[in-house]
Amino acid sequence: MSDVGRQWPAAAFGPIGRARALAASIPSAAWTEGILDAPYATAWPWIADLAVSVPRFDTQVRKLRVLSRRAEDGAERLRVAATTFGVTFPFDVRLEDGFCLMQARARLYLVLMAAEPHDGGERTRFMHLEAVPLPGTRLVRAHLQRVVDADFRNLARLAAHGF
Amino acid sequence: MDALVRELMPYVSRVCGAIALDRGDDAMQETFIAVLRNIKSLRQPAALHGWVRRIAVRESIRAARGRREDPVDPSVLVSAPVPPIDVAAVIDVRSTLASLAPEQRAVLVLRDIDGLSETETAKLLGIAEGTVKSRLHRARSAFARRWEP
Repeated sequence: MSDVGRQWPAAAFGPIGRARALAASIPSAAWTEGILDAPYATAWPWIADLAVSVPRFDTQVRKLRVLSRRAEDGAERLRVAATTFGVTFPFDVRLEDGFCLMQARARLYLVLMAAEPHDGGERTRFMHLEAVPLPGTRLVRAHLQRVVDADFRNLARLAAHGF
Repeated sequence: MDALVRELMPYVSRVCGAIALDRGDDAMQETFIAVLRNIKSLRQPAALHGWVRRIAVRESIRAARGRREDPVDPSVLVSAPVPPIDVAAVIDVRSTLASLAPEQRAVLVLRDIDGLSETETAKLLGIAEGTVKSRLHRARSAFARRWEP
């Protein structure tokens, strides 16, 4: 690739597009996408504060603690502990503007949240995905779909009331 | 998977943007869906770049063909032999690219940006080398006509 290439038109790949591509590649992935009635400038910082936001809208997580946080490769890398049904699971998190990928340390579970400004930033397009990225787990998809749908409804309700 | 997307994103962005133009974002998304769904079929990791390039070009042409506005008739772009142009001097190439057919843009991208040979370009696009030459000639002609004083 020469320097000339930098002058040519380039396609853009926002957080939602990136999330859709990942979603399509994971057989068990269940996701939902919709509009939050809150400005992106308000919604994403609140969502990205995982210790506060996740227990509020995720129906399966009672508590989330951030164990460590560091900057790496243009993103924040977090280690968090999420408590679900009385059991605590460690997650590795990659957090960027509009993009949050959480993978259980044992690679048994994956959570993805992506957001972009909508209506000029007055509202927020949000996508939430959960998956068990293991072979033979397509059957869990129906259950995961109910989970992410419920999570999205919770988040939409919180957004409409200013979090 | 996400690390692979981040690694490939700059390259795929350039290919899809230059070939699919306004549909570049769609082409990019479809490219990554195809790449991620089929990555396990890639037996030689060293072949990754060429494999992704092939998918990106295919998806870009497909996306560009879906545009409502048709490019100009390539026959009007045929002219006398045109010397190679200094593409680096071109400031705004988008409008010129838009006057080309997606297949011509693909040849231009592969030859002049990616630096593939005529043989490699022909093989990747599944066309004859002579077709690569003629498409490249038309594409370069379009640039020359556009930017000549």
